[in-house]
Amino acid sequence: MTASDEAMSTGESTSLTIPAEVDSVGPCIAFVAACAAAAGFPAARVREIELVVEEVVVNICQYAYGDAPGEIELLCTKTNSQDLVLEFIDSGKPFNILTLPAPDLTVEVDQRQVGGLGVPLVRALVDTASYRRESGRNVLRLSVWLAR
Amino acid sequence: MECKVRAIANVVLIQVVGRIDHTTAKAFEDALSPHVSGCAGEDKILVLDFSGVIFISSAGLRVLMIAAKQCRKQNGKMVLAALQPMIQEVFQISRFDSLFELFPTVRAALQAVSPAAAAIYDGE
Repeated sequence: MTASDEAMSTGESTSLTIPAEVDSVGPCIAFVAACAAAAGFPAARVREIELVVEEVVVNICQYAYGDAPGEIELLCTKTNSQDLVLEFIDSGKPFNILTLPAPDLTVEVDQRQVGGLGVPLVRALVDTASYRRESGRNVLRLSVWLAR
Repeated sequence: MECKVRAIANVVLIQVVGRIDHTTAKAFEDALSPHVSGCAGEDKILVLDFSGVIFISSAGLRVLMIAAKQCRKQNGKMVLAALQPMIQEVFQISRFDSLFELFPTVRAALQAVSPAAAAIYDGE
């Protein structure tokens, strides 16, 4: 069963394994958006989740793999009627997006860093986040709640 | 992502439509860049109509940041109008709402930056 053709049941997981390259961002977004829609998430929340997926996948490609070839496994699990858990698993070098330094957002435009805004966006738009290094793989676990 | 550009008096009104993400950020930058380079003083003011922008990621914010820095260096003005709720949220998180002048409508933006342009806009 795919995420898009039926409503997701509690505890059910769907997964996608895809090359770690920026061209995979679109399919990753489509996959997670379908999971979230099937789980009953409203369109506005789905769009926020799409943003999180783009930021995470781009960072894995750039930092975990350093633009070298590899794969990303994306696991989407509906844990209850209100939550969706997204797991991003890769075999790149140890990389935890949650500990990347965020730019200083309080300074004037002249001093503002260009880039680096993916990190604060991910932190702000997910409800819980954890990272572990397991069997040579990075596992980023993000939970997103239907209502915020 | 598409950009439609109109000159109205001393304003360049750029209507942006679609998603500004990692795949379209470069096209957005290419569309914006020639207008940003001429944005200086009161002669050429940029108004970005974001009413049609449904998604922006950090890749799009990066383009806006570069444009804002260049405008500041040139003593130019670039403002944004009609942000949809998702874009407003992204701007709040990234504190872009304190870097840019934001207006609820294109009309309000034109009135603030160029009453002459607003008058022409009203007459259409």
